[in-house]
Amino acid sequence: MPTWVRATLVVGLLYLFLVGVRLLETGVKVLGEDSAEGLFNGVTHPIAALFVGVLATVLVQSSSVTTATIVGLVAGGVLPIPTAVPMIMGANIGTTVTNTVVSLGHVRRSEEFRRAFSAATMHDFFNLIAVAILLPLELATGVLSKTAAAIAERVSGGGLGGTFDSPIKGAVKWGAGHVESAVERVVSNPTALGVALILVGVGFIFFTLVYITKNMKVLVAKRIEQSLNAALAKSGIIAMATGAVITFAVQSSSITTSILIPLVASGILLIRNAYPITLGANVGTTITALLAALAAGTVDGLTIAFVHVLFNIAGILLLYPLPAMRFVPVRIAERLADVAIRRRWLAVTYVALAFIVVPLLGIVVLT
Amino acid sequence: MVFDFFRSPGHSALEEVEAQLVEMLRDGHTVYVTAMEALFGGGKSKEAKKEVKTTDRGINKMQKEVRRLLMVHASVNENVDLPLVLTYMSVVKDIERAGDYAKNIYDLVKYGEDFSTAPDHDELASYRDAVGQLMLDAADVFEQRDNDAAQKLVSKADGFLDIYEDHVRMAYESDGPAAVAVSRALYYRWLKRITAHTMNLMTSLVMPVDQLDYYDEDPNDRL
Repeated sequence: MPTWVRATLVVGLLYLFLVGVRLLETGVKVLGEDSAEGLFNGVTHPIAALFVGVLATVLVQSSSVTTATIVGLVAGGVLPIPTAVPMIMGANIGTTVTNTVVSLGHVRRSEEFRRAFSAATMHDFFNLIAVAILLPLELATGVLSKTAAAIAERVSGGGLGGTFDSPIKGAVKWGAGHVESAVERVVSNPTALGVALILVGVGFIFFTLVYITKNMKVLVAKRIEQSLNAALAKSGIIAMATGAVITFAVQSSSITTSILIPLVASGILLIRNAYPITLGANVGTTITALLAALAAGTVDGLTIAFVHVLFNIAGILLLYPLPAMRFVPVRIAERLADVAIRRRWLAVTYVALAFIVVPLLGIVVLT
Repeated sequence: MVFDFFRSPGHSALEEVEAQLVEMLRDGHTVYVTAMEALFGGGKSKEAKKEVKTTDRGINKMQKEVRRLLMVHASVNENVDLPLVLTYMSVVKDIERAGDYAKNIYDLVKYGEDFSTAPDHDELASYRDAVGQLMLDAADVFEQRDNDAAQKLVSKADGFLDIYEDHVRMAYESDGPAAVAVSRALYYRWLKRITAHTMNLMTSLVMPVDQLDYYDEDPNDRL
C-alpha cells in the first residue's frame, strides 16, 4: 500500500476512533443515568475496579482500548472518577501480559528465555509496585485525581461535571451524528438504542485502535528502527523518551515492549537498557486517553485521562531517580526468571494467575 | 537518540547493512594488501602490524554492528525479508573470515618469511594479484547487486580453488626445507580460504539461502 494511502487511512481511523468515544458517551447518556449507573454499581471496591481494569485489558490486549473506553464512560457520567482511577491503574498492569506472552516464545533456550522473561516481567513488577504505592496514596488523599482535576480545569477552563469545547469535539460531532442517525433508524427503543450506541462505540474504539497500531507500525517502522538502533546502548532519560515517542506514534505500549523482548533475548539489548524504554512506553501510551478526552469534551473525561498521565509519571518519579529503588523491578523479574528457567511451568502459571485467575477471583469476591 | 525518530530515514536498515558489508570487504582488501606488501619485500614494520590489527578489529566491530542491525530490523518489521536477513547474517561471517585469513598472511612475515627473493616469486605474486583483484571485484559486484557479474566472477575464481589445493598438497609432499614447505602450504591454504569465503558472498547473490556456505566443499555444490 502506498505510504500516502496508509497515512490517509490512519487519519480516517483516528477520526473513527474519536467517533467511537463520542458514541460511547452518547450511548451512556441515552441509556439514562439510572440504567447506566447499574453497570458499575457492583464495582465500588477499588481493588475490584483495579481487577476490572486488568482483566478488560488482558481480554482486548490493549490498554489504549480500555483507557479510551474508561474515558468515554467517565465522560458519559456513568463511571465515577474514584472508581475509574483504579481501573486505569489496572489497565497499566493488564497491558504487560502481551510482552510476557511474547517472552514465552523463547522458552526452549534457557539463557534466552531468562533474559526475555526478565525483560517482560520487569514491566509487570514496575507497574505492580507503582500501583502498590500509588493506589493506597490515592485512596487516602486523592492526590492523583485532585491534581488531575486541577490540571483538567485549568486546561479546559471549566469545572468538574462540566463540558468544554475543543476543535476535535466539533469535528467528531458530525461523524458521530451520522452514525447515531443510522443506528436510530434500526433501533427505536431508548434503552436498546443506548446499548446499541455503547456497543458500536466500543467496537469502533477496538477495531480502529487495532488498525491504527498496525498501520502506524508499518508507517514508522524505519523510524522505530532508526531510533532503537540509536537508543540501544543508551540508558536513562534518552531511552525513556525514545520509548515514549515510539509508543506515542504506534499508539500501543505493547508493540514497543514486545519489540524489545527478542532484542533482550538475543543479548543485543541489555535488560537494564530496555528498562527505561519500557517506562517511556508507559508514558507514551497515555496519549490515547487524552485524545479520547478531547473528543468527549467533558472535564471529568479529561480528568481521568490526566490521572493516567500522572500515574505513569509519578511511578517513574517514585522509582527511577533513587539508585537503590531504580532496578528493584528488574531484580525481582530476574529472580522470577531464574526460578522459571528451572521450572518452566511456573512461567505459564504466573501468566495465568497474575493476569486471569487472580483478577477474576478478585472481581467475583469483591463485587 | 530520541530525535532520531524524527530524523527522516534516508535509507533502510538493510541498505545500511549492505553499505557496511561493502566497507568490510574493502577493509579486508586493505588488510590483504598491507600483509602482502610486507610479505613481498616490505618486511616487518610497526606501521604494517598496526594497520593490519586496527583494520581487522574494525571489521570485527562492523560484523557485530551488522548482526545488531539485522536483529533490530527483524524484531521491528512484521513483513521482514527473512531470506535476505538470513543471507546477510551468513555472509557477514564470510566477509569477516576473509579478512581474518588476510590478517593471517602477515603471520608469515612475523615468522621471517620474505617472498621477494623466493625462486617461485612470480607464481606466488600472480596468485597474490589474482586474489587481491577478486576481493576488489567482489566488493564492486556486491555493491551493484550485479547477478551476472557475480556468476562470471564465481566461474572465473572457481578453477583457482583446485590450483591452491594442489599447491597445498605439493607442499605437503615436498622434500625441500620445512620452512619453505610450511610457508607455501599456509600461503596457498589461506588464499584458498579467502577465495572460498569471497565466493560464498558472490553465490549469496545468485543462490538460495540453504545453499550458502558449501562453496568449496564439493565441486557439485558449485554453480
